[in-house]
Amino acid sequence: MSAKERSSVSIGGLTLSLSNLEKVLWPRDGYTKGDLIGYYRSVAEPAVAHLKGRPLTLQRYPNGIDAQSFFEKQMPKGMPEWIERITVPTPGGSRSHVTFPLCNDEPSLVYFANLAAIVLHVWTSGVLALDEPDFVLFDLDPGEKCTLQTLARVALQVRDCLNEIGLKPLVKSTGGYGVHVVVPLAAGYSYETAKVFAEIVARQAAAELGELASLQRTIAKRPQTAVYIDYVQVGLGKTIVAPYSVRARDGAPVSTPLHWAEIEAFGRRRSGMAPADEFAKLTIRTTPARLAREGDLWGPKSWKKQRLEGPSAKANRLWREEG
Amino acid sequence: MAHAIWSGAINFGLVTIPVKLFTAVKTDDLSFNLLHKKDDGRIKYDRVCSVDGKPVPWDEIVKGYEYEKGQYVLLTDEDFAKVNPEATQSVDIVEFVELDKISPMFFDKPYYLEPTKQGRHAYALLREALAESNRVAIARVVIRTKEYIAAVKPIDGALVLELMHWANEIVASETLELPKSEELPEKEMQMARMLIETMSVDEFEPEKFTNKYRDELMTMIEARAAGKELPKAKKAPARSKVVNLMDVLAQSLEESKKRRTAASAGNGKPAAAKRRKKTAA
Repeated sequence: MSAKERSSVSIGGLTLSLSNLEKVLWPRDGYTKGDLIGYYRSVAEPAVAHLKGRPLTLQRYPNGIDAQSFFEKQMPKGMPEWIERITVPTPGGSRSHVTFPLCNDEPSLVYFANLAAIVLHVWTSGVLALDEPDFVLFDLDPGEKCTLQTLARVALQVRDCLNEIGLKPLVKSTGGYGVHVVVPLAAGYSYETAKVFAEIVARQAAAELGELASLQRTIAKRPQTAVYIDYVQVGLGKTIVAPYSVRARDGAPVSTPLHWAEIEAFGRRRSGMAPADEFAKLTIRTTPARLAREGDLWGPKSWKKQRLEGPSAKANRLWREEG
Repeated sequence: MAHAIWSGAINFGLVTIPVKLFTAVKTDDLSFNLLHKKDDGRIKYDRVCSVDGKPVPWDEIVKGYEYEKGQYVLLTDEDFAKVNPEATQSVDIVEFVELDKISPMFFDKPYYLEPTKQGRHAYALLREALAESNRVAIARVVIRTKEYIAAVKPIDGALVLELMHWANEIVASETLELPKSEELPEKEMQMARMLIETMSVDEFEPEKFTNKYRDELMTMIEARAAGKELPKAKKAPARSKVVNLMDVLAQSLEESKKRRTAASAGNGKPAAAKRRKKTAA
């Protein structure tokens, strides 16, 4: 290894040794590991805010996005002592406990990026209450022939259903094909509650949308032009691609929080554009500037923790199927 | 728990962990006695000599190994005693290896290990260290007078001793005629993958699979024992009651509320999280 490829960087009082910065991870874009680290440093503040305190699974691509990736489902040996971690029991697993790393500060984030951890998957609950989800999640996954317009209409319907019963959801691109719609939750709700609640909303939205949406878990049975409303992605130990996580796709797209107004604009497009083509515009090149302009759309000002009692009663009044 | 079937010790370097062995798997087959149809008499077996046709008492019986057709080497109890391993009652750990490195074919039968009072600390140490390193211990085990190879694995808070087959007991798959992994048409592979995808589940739930044959036999036996005949045709399984999601949600919210009340009455800390303090270098 040449000296040029190794460098030290000092962050928050810690000195990190970075390696192989010239290694190309995105062969068709020419983006290197140095670019990945640079990106994560530039979005460190909002990224860490969303990663903090949540068990983290790294998806590493040591040889770039075309080569084999692997999931680091437990803390690998040899991680520095200063990276915080949490040990959780694994009911039914072959091991009684698993230790996950946490990304609680910028040095940790840079350390992970240096491991070519392109994609950061986090639990939907944090260390203070691992059995209580921080949000209700709707993972909207468009079929192969689904247009951006259809995806937007489904997302807006889910939003409207939530608005109807008094909830204010947030939305982000997944960085791949779809979007995540979330309702931040106040403390004290179980995964079970979140899941049943999500199912009720998903069913109501799907009923309004007809053939545009599907609740069918089996891919082969879904119409390719429809959007799959996945409401079962919330559960203990299940993960979600974190906001501002990069994806291992051409162009290095980023999972980016969006304005609902942007989704509304997508809904007016008639072009038949594929959703992924639109979301591919939000990349490690463009996101830092967007953040500087818009701020973190999932930041503390918009992340309003909401209670479910009132909305549930309202849903019961408005949507209950009689007979 | 049932009584221990063996007590001995795990030897691990200089550490000795006194343990008891418990059955971890019960076979659930129904067993039947053979009876004489007309009077329900139990059928007995006689040990009869094939040369003189007469019953043979136990003290005249020896064991023979047929090394060639009709040619036997005779072995007495003393002969067996000479080669029997010393009845050490021990689990001697020889090495440690990652679980994935052992073909599942080698595993035969699991037993639970429970520490005696003096062994609890060392037991916990071994269990945690194994879990953390994602390795299992390979041990030589003597149970009664037989020697086995076994793995010691941490499973759900217990150490499990899993007896293994010896290498020469595993039949090599090379003896079968198997298709080579030639180039397969991508289209067909896609179909196969899709089929797997559509039939995939997140968790293996063994409770879903029940031994229907056994259950139906048992139902029949119970009915007969109670002097009743069996209900004739099998009924179609009862449709599960359609549960209204709204009711489930209301109940779930109620439970969440109870949890919160309970949590604020206690110290409010979740039990699950063990957190390590930051020690910045």
